[in-house]
Amino acid sequence: MQILTQLIYSGIALGMIYAVIAFGYQLTFATSDTLNFGQGDALMLGALVGLTLVNAGVNYWLMIPIVCLFGAFQGAVVERIGVRPAIKIKSEFGWIMSTIALGIIFKNVAENVWGRDDLRFPSPLPEAPIKLLGANVLPMEILVVVGALAMMLAVELFNRRSIYGKAVVATFNDRDAAKLMGINTGLVITFSYALSSLTAAFAGVLIAPLTLTGATMGAVLGLKAFAVAIIGGLTSGMGIIVGGIILGIAETTTGFYISTGYKDVPGLVLLLIVLAVRPAGLFGKTAIKKV
Amino acid sequence: MNRNLLALSVAGIAALLLFPVVVQNPYYLHLLETIAIYAILLFGLDIVVGYTGQVSLGHAGLFGIGAYTAGVLVTKLATPLLVTLIASVGVTAVFGAVLALPALRVSGPYLAMVTLAFGTIIQILINEMTFLTEGPMGIKLNKPALFGIQLDEREFYWLVALLMVLSLIVVHRVLRSHLGRAFEALRGSPIASDCMGVSVYRYKVYAFVISAGFAGLAGALYSFSEQYISPNTYNFELTVLFLLGIIMGGRKSRIGAMLGASIIVLLPKLLDDIEMFRYVSVALSVAVLISAIVAVRRGKATLAQMAVPVVGSMALAALSFRLETMTDWRLSIFGVITLFVVYYLQDGIVGFVRQALNLQRPQLPDEKVDAAVRAPADAVATAAAAGGDADRTELLLAQGVLMQFGGLKALNNVDLVVRRGTIHGLIGPNGSGKSTMMNVLTGIYVPTAGAISFGGHSLVGRTSSGIARSGIARTFQNVQLFGEMTALQNVQVGLHHSFASNLFDVAVHTPRYCRERDAAAARALGLLQFVGLRDLAFEEARNLPYGKQRLLEIARALALDPQLLLLDEPAAGLTAPDIKELISIIRKIRDHGITVILIEHHMDVVMSMCDTVSVLDFGQKIAEGVPAQVQADEKVIEAYLGGQAVAGAAC
Repeated sequence: MQILTQLIYSGIALGMIYAVIAFGYQLTFATSDTLNFGQGDALMLGALVGLTLVNAGVNYWLMIPIVCLFGAFQGAVVERIGVRPAIKIKSEFGWIMSTIALGIIFKNVAENVWGRDDLRFPSPLPEAPIKLLGANVLPMEILVVVGALAMMLAVELFNRRSIYGKAVVATFNDRDAAKLMGINTGLVITFSYALSSLTAAFAGVLIAPLTLTGATMGAVLGLKAFAVAIIGGLTSGMGIIVGGIILGIAETTTGFYISTGYKDVPGLVLLLIVLAVRPAGLFGKTAIKKV
Repeated sequence: MNRNLLALSVAGIAALLLFPVVVQNPYYLHLLETIAIYAILLFGLDIVVGYTGQVSLGHAGLFGIGAYTAGVLVTKLATPLLVTLIASVGVTAVFGAVLALPALRVSGPYLAMVTLAFGTIIQILINEMTFLTEGPMGIKLNKPALFGIQLDEREFYWLVALLMVLSLIVVHRVLRSHLGRAFEALRGSPIASDCMGVSVYRYKVYAFVISAGFAGLAGALYSFSEQYISPNTYNFELTVLFLLGIIMGGRKSRIGAMLGASIIVLLPKLLDDIEMFRYVSVALSVAVLISAIVAVRRGKATLAQMAVPVVGSMALAALSFRLETMTDWRLSIFGVITLFVVYYLQDGIVGFVRQALNLQRPQLPDEKVDAAVRAPADAVATAAAAGGDADRTELLLAQGVLMQFGGLKALNNVDLVVRRGTIHGLIGPNGSGKSTMMNVLTGIYVPTAGAISFGGHSLVGRTSSGIARSGIARTFQNVQLFGEMTALQNVQVGLHHSFASNLFDVAVHTPRYCRERDAAAARALGLLQFVGLRDLAFEEARNLPYGKQRLLEIARALALDPQLLLLDEPAAGLTAPDIKELISIIRKIRDHGITVILIEHHMDVVMSMCDTVSVLDFGQKIAEGVPAQVQADEKVIEAYLGGQAVAGAAC
């Protein structure tokens, strides 16, 4: 029982990371109907840049805003190079391929800059576990959950309360109408990509102390976060948190009870099943096709 | 076949087969063998990517399944070569079907992610199922024996080359057949395909299964070619490489696929050789510079547009002189090339050359209809015979149809009776539910409540394609043609139901298939003649003027041999002379015994032609009767002109 509780704790922490990355998918999907297939690589870059900063003597807490800025910049670059031209020529194939290509480039660059080996990220909090309901939980895991929730809440508040957020919501509802109302929708889309990569980079420095950091850490995380986004529904905020936790727990328990080799399988299978049965996700609304 | 093309193909095949006689170096032989294997896979991938327009990131996984099926069968059961190859194709095709199941429901980015997840799962399974696959250790196997004779390097090469040529022919034939047209149609407009009786679901699965079959064949050959397989080969990079090969070579082109295969095999070798790479990158930047200058001078592109590729290729050349070794940066270079191809070379090298030299897509015998095949005098099938006595019996009977979207009742208890052989008008102000009625009748929407029967059979809950095949054809308010296909091909998609041939018939061109093909081509031409588009048969549908597109939609709908034809605002946007022509066409259609439901806003068209007119307003039927009677109806006048209107001004 104690082991199971512990597995659930680490599953929740992992799930919140998925939820944050999935949240990033939602942001860009909302404004432009596009996704960054290199979202996992944005996370990886955030973690590695954070590691470099920490190793250079920057305090962990001070490093976070710098990494966030870096993430925002990286996201804006992806949008400008990979997505905007494709939206202009209305090529779905175009943005899928170009964000994949950019992801590959980022990964390869990271391999050349930081090497191919996984690196250890020093933990900013004590590594001694705390007892909670009879099971051990790492302080870092609590930080992950709190940080992830805070990040999502902050973006949501921004979207709902500020005038810039209203522009984002308006673009989400009807891109052309928003454009006619004088909103610079191109800028909004760039902004949503910046925000999306920012959350991914933030997730990167949150998860890094719990796992190892390396150029290849992003790919599978990005894919599983997509599974979470689909399971929860691409338009539901609540859905991704629930989806993330389901997936996180499924993964830690599979890893423990079956084999760590299979730990990625339940999420991916769940993705296939949800898409086959209910493409709008568990919490998403089904769209009515118009003829 | 075109004589030049034939000569070229014979020369190509001869060169392919004679290569090992001339070049003894096993390294080059193996390189060419790999290209041929990748080409087989790309032929298949092109079906999914080029024709149905779906992004598959799962083909490395399928390739792996093919390779491992062969590896496991040979090491565990020592199966003979032919059995191994057939089993690999079969097993991979089954996995292709499994992959297609979620793909039925989704498309675009979702599908890309699903296929990516599939590929990742396959890689994990290969790694973990050690009892079968030896896991990360990989499997070693020898070159196979064929009919008891052990094949050496060169003989195996010939086998691969032969299979590639065979695959080429089969894929080519499939794509030129009604199957290929179905694939292309579901990309052009899924809804229109369904309404032409071509089930989008079914043909997406077919496309994936056929494509997976070729991936399986390629995988099996690859495992014999390399003589060693390990899980890490079939990774994400390989899948992106395949896609790069397809788009760089050129979609919808077999030459493009072969070119793409050569590039993705040779490029890594090129990057290993820094000296060679320097020369090539300089040559490339010069080529880009020249083509940019030409493009700007011809006014095809602006200076700013061309700046990026020119500067980019020069930077690449400069970089190649700075770096000592390219191997570490291999993936980045692939990434840059992918970006370049996606934005500047969308039609691939084949498309680029074709455009630069102003070549047309070659017209193949299937499209080029011989003068000998005369169009039948009357291509429109007479529908009345099917109903027995043309006694104006009820053909379509809708009772209490309710269509609710959330709180909105788009159709509220509508009854509709359409009698055989009549033209039934359906009018009403905008938003009154006319098009919703069409969509309910053709199965695009499932009504919330109510019963619809057509010729005595219920339509509720049946698929659009099933309804279309049972004899209801339609046109669309906003034209839904298959834009990249010719007018003739558009009509041929409508004639899909006239083919009974299966994949085998198509692959070997059995007499049955040839007969059906020629008949369909002749019928299609006849139908084009019927609507007056015979001269535009080989024009791409998207290039036709708007009025002609509407007529083409009618011809395509008639190809279904419908008993009931639904015309959704056929006169919208037409000029006065065009409308006259349209009226005479609709009359002729009726004279063939085909029942017509006509939605139209041009009241003179409706009033002059219809036998019965039903009027909808806010989802309810407010009047029905002969045109004159409806025209005088108070409620109708009120619906169109508001409460205070003067009677008689309704039309």
